[in-house]
Amino acid sequence: MKTCIACGMPMKNISDFAANDESKDYCVHCSRPDGEMQSFEEKKESLTKFIIKTQGFDESAACKIAEDMMRKLPAWKKYFD
Amino acid sequence: MKISSRQTQKSNTRKKIIETAYRVFSEKGFAVPTSVIAKEAGVAHGSIFVHFPTLNDLLTCLFFDFGDKMGASLHMLAEKCDSVESLLNEHLNVLEEYEGFYTRLISEKNRLPDEAKSIFAVIQSTVAHHFSSAIDREIEKGTVKKLPIHMLFNTWLGLVHYYLLNKEFFSHSNESVIRRHRAELLSSYLNLIKKESEVL
Repeated sequence: MKTCIACGMPMKNISDFAANDESKDYCVHCSRPDGEMQSFEEKKESLTKFIIKTQGFDESAACKIAEDMMRKLPAWKKYFD
Repeated sequence: MKISSRQTQKSNTRKKIIETAYRVFSEKGFAVPTSVIAKEAGVAHGSIFVHFPTLNDLLTCLFFDFGDKMGASLHMLAEKCDSVESLLNEHLNVLEEYEGFYTRLISEKNRLPDEAKSIFAVIQSTVAHHFSSAIDREIEKGTVKKLPIHMLFNTWLGLVHYYLLNKEFFSHSNESVIRRHRAELLSSYLNLIKKESEVL
């Protein structure tokens, strides 16, 4: 089973893939409306907002967790080298 | 490719170290020297360094392992779009399985190395992600009160952590506090967050 290179989500069903395209390596949540993958900054911002919404953390703490999440993922590794 | 007996032995030693580390850390805390883990696992002290060059490497490996288990269990449930009750029940299943380890984690978190702390934050964010999907669905259906997601999540964690951190008041020494209070924790929390018409 593929996992999304940008967020790590397992992609099992066709609806999990960006633009319902199983050849894509990233998921529906990490794509833009046109099917392209979100940029590093876009993903960091959306993850940070999500952490604030779900856990109520301070913005800088949430941003640090978002970066720690992204650090381990193939799509973003080069941004941390 | 054929796996040699040496590779099998190496993998078994690694597994034994991980299993023993879970138990020893749960019993004695994360400051325990690796020599104690080696002795308990019945392996040479040097063997630990072959697999985990530093204590931090061993801690990181265990935290990732625990995070994977938690993530996989909740993801499987999330796929079924199940109720918040099922999700919380599964959360408690994993916490009960790793109760000693998790209790150490939340009580010693601030003394852990930065990398271990960061993995813990990522694990809780994964739990929060699945929690918020299930809660969003129930808020939309009108079964759960429309409160901020983070307050609903933090209230649940606060409740469970309080029981874990004060285990000596809530259960006997060898008894799982989650197992003993699971039904009461779940039903009370659900009654607090559900709309009046849904309360049992």
